[in-house]
Amino acid sequence: MGNLQRVQPPVFPIEKINIPEVQSVKLNNEVPVYMIESGTEEIMRLEFIFRAGQINEYLPLLSSTTNMMLTEGSQNYSSEELNRLLDYYGAFISLSAEKDCAGIVIFFLNKHIEKILELSREILFRPIFPEEELDSLMKKRLSWYNESREKVQNLAIDQFFESVFGKHHPYGYQIKEKDFEGINPILLKDFHMKYYTPDSMTIIISGKVHKRTTELLNKYFGDITSDKIYIEDPENILKGEKKKKIHVTKSGAVQSAIRIGSATINKRHPDYPGLKVLDTVLGGYFGSRLMKNIREEKGFTYGISSFVSSLDLAGYKVISTEVSRKNCRKTIDEIYKEIRLLQTVPVGKEEMTVVKNYMSGEMVRMFDGPFALAESFKSVWEYGFDFSYFYSLVEKINTIDPDEINQLARTYYNIDELYEITAG
Amino acid sequence: MIKFNRFLLDNGLRVLVHEDKSTPLVAMNVLYDVGSRDEDPGLTGLAHLFEHLMFGGSVNIPEYDLPLQMVGGENNAFTNNDFTNYYLTIPSSNIETGFWLESDRMLNLDFSQKNLDTQKNVVIEEYNQRYLNQPYGDAILKLRPMAYKVHPYRWPTIGMDISHIENIDLDQVKEFFFSHYAPNNAILSLTGNINPDHAFNLTNKWFGPIEKRNVNERKIPAEPHQNEGRILTIEKDVPSNALYKVWHIGPRNSTDFYTLDLLTDLLAGGESGRLYTELVRDKKLFSEINAYITSDIDPGLIFVQGKLMKGIDIQFAEESVNKVINNLPDSDGIKDEMEKVKNKFESSTVFTNTSILNKAVNLAFCELLGNPELINREVDDYRKVNLDMVNDAITRYFVPSNCSTLYYKSTRNN
Repeated sequence: MGNLQRVQPPVFPIEKINIPEVQSVKLNNEVPVYMIESGTEEIMRLEFIFRAGQINEYLPLLSSTTNMMLTEGSQNYSSEELNRLLDYYGAFISLSAEKDCAGIVIFFLNKHIEKILELSREILFRPIFPEEELDSLMKKRLSWYNESREKVQNLAIDQFFESVFGKHHPYGYQIKEKDFEGINPILLKDFHMKYYTPDSMTIIISGKVHKRTTELLNKYFGDITSDKIYIEDPENILKGEKKKKIHVTKSGAVQSAIRIGSATINKRHPDYPGLKVLDTVLGGYFGSRLMKNIREEKGFTYGISSFVSSLDLAGYKVISTEVSRKNCRKTIDEIYKEIRLLQTVPVGKEEMTVVKNYMSGEMVRMFDGPFALAESFKSVWEYGFDFSYFYSLVEKINTIDPDEINQLARTYYNIDELYEITAG
Repeated sequence: MIKFNRFLLDNGLRVLVHEDKSTPLVAMNVLYDVGSRDEDPGLTGLAHLFEHLMFGGSVNIPEYDLPLQMVGGENNAFTNNDFTNYYLTIPSSNIETGFWLESDRMLNLDFSQKNLDTQKNVVIEEYNQRYLNQPYGDAILKLRPMAYKVHPYRWPTIGMDISHIENIDLDQVKEFFFSHYAPNNAILSLTGNINPDHAFNLTNKWFGPIEKRNVNERKIPAEPHQNEGRILTIEKDVPSNALYKVWHIGPRNSTDFYTLDLLTDLLAGGESGRLYTELVRDKKLFSEINAYITSDIDPGLIFVQGKLMKGIDIQFAEESVNKVINNLPDSDGIKDEMEKVKNKFESSTVFTNTSILNKAVNLAFCELLGNPELINREVDDYRKVNLDMVNDAITRYFVPSNCSTLYYKSTRNN
């Protein structure tokens, strides 16, 4: 076997992350455009974001349906033509309507930039919301909805958001079967007119940015204007439900889904980077406390994770897993045990180093390539930051100590305030 | 164009390196030429269970994940019918840690009863989560044994029966390791910020000393020609009826592969695919429908599967699917649609290859197929398909006697 010593090779510190410059320009109508040059292939990722998410809805499903109907027919193209042309030019489009924002992302080969911009303008600013397509979409969505309600994961997370944010708030509202009947083209046109406007639009571009990008964006989007419309601020109050423990029954389920967590701070709060580190220790990577205990020690589950996420009005943290019914209670007790440990016992030196290094490696991955870069940028842009946010996260990863982690766990993981949702 | 260097070590390990300086990372992929098709029919699920055991510590390293996380790396693995694949990404300065970790678990594992017992439970929960606790999750468990009577593709990677997993003992696990995990049964690929000479030196240093092993010779029974249509109806408490149809095709290396790939893209590639436009958008028979071919090395399958809208008769829906397929070559606009799916295939290849990890996995897979150059040839092979070839493939493969059909009915419709 030769004389090779099979011991770990020297470990080098992870290089400082190399975050590229973001070039920021404004179109003739003041629409902000952020451009991130990256990658080796002649491709681009183009994202249009609008403040048109669920938070703006005055009826359930309005935001997502408006978004999904964008490619279902425009002034100059039928739904079939739009989809066929996007495919013909080898473009990939993804539509998204989330809690705060909605929009589209298109991936394409640079040589087709002009055609893609022309189609994007049709999709975003000239949709006609045809009744027949809407009717068929709503029927499809109803059957997807019914299927999704078969899965304990969905039952649990929907109930989780309701409990945490309140059943009347758009963040917490649980879609019901009757909601699929109330949508018509007039409502969609109204929502579109109010929220898909140049005033509320931002463009993020990454890839090998085509040299004519600004000029072409001005050609297709720079002259679009909208009348200022007064929009009443919906008085939505975020308020968690009283009941902390809810079980959603699903007969015949083989496993139970568990979701434990609560509302918390979002990215605008100075403690957020520290909370991210704490969350990673608890359940944010394969070697986390929860994975080690519930999967690797006990074999109760295929996977368990914890997650902290930021929204415009609040943040939330949630621990998620699926386990056999017989292990459900034991798993929940172990989750609380792990939280208590983080509140009272300092994290050991080796574990601190693992978490710091793992997170530093994650940062390198978050800035690797045009697609990852654009997503990372968007994730901080939504809260009014730019890439410099990540330098403060790096700083926190490097300087946080075990005391601070205990302190954060006591402040943000008060067990009496956590919601405990199970479905199965 | 993906440029790569290929080396062969004395112990039989095949190595492929593609340098991409635009990234600070390196992706490392180790493919073992063993999958669920290599299992004994009485011991199915072992290849996949083994994948889990590979993270339980090796001869000189008590824990796999810890040192990798310590240098900012991330990893995962998957098992399919044909092979087992392990991959990691790591900041390039620490790539040697990847070599140390991967070579040590190729050298020998630290087989422990405790780890085996835990991972059995994890795999049973994985089985519950993926197949039993999802509506229609068991459809694939029903379809495989319909289409395959003899070939080991008749069982899924997770195993034919969960009792097989429960009964596996430590000796069987060890025997499996030494007869399948070996340098002469593996492919190592490296992509990203690594120089080929450096990669070769590190491979020699860490993998070079591992000795060749006697790998079990593959003796897989060929699936006999199917000459009667097979039909199964099951009823379950699911939200709507679903239709599944599969037809036998040739092996991955056969000349028809790209023709069939293109054909299923015409049928279901994106929202403008034929099945979608005609049966979802126009006639509203299905809420969703999909068609694809498996990328199995031995003769595989074409899949067509869809969920029906409420109140639609399943036989009528099935006839409509057959009509769309059979009318395809003579339909209007087929020439444009051929061009469309070819463009889409080309751009999808470009997008896929922006990721160093995808490049590493694909390079290793092409090497397994016998020709790493395939990675640069696929777009041309796909572009060469013409309408006559599509027509010919429809006539030869979409034959009722070559088909297995599963009617997955909802008890709620009755």
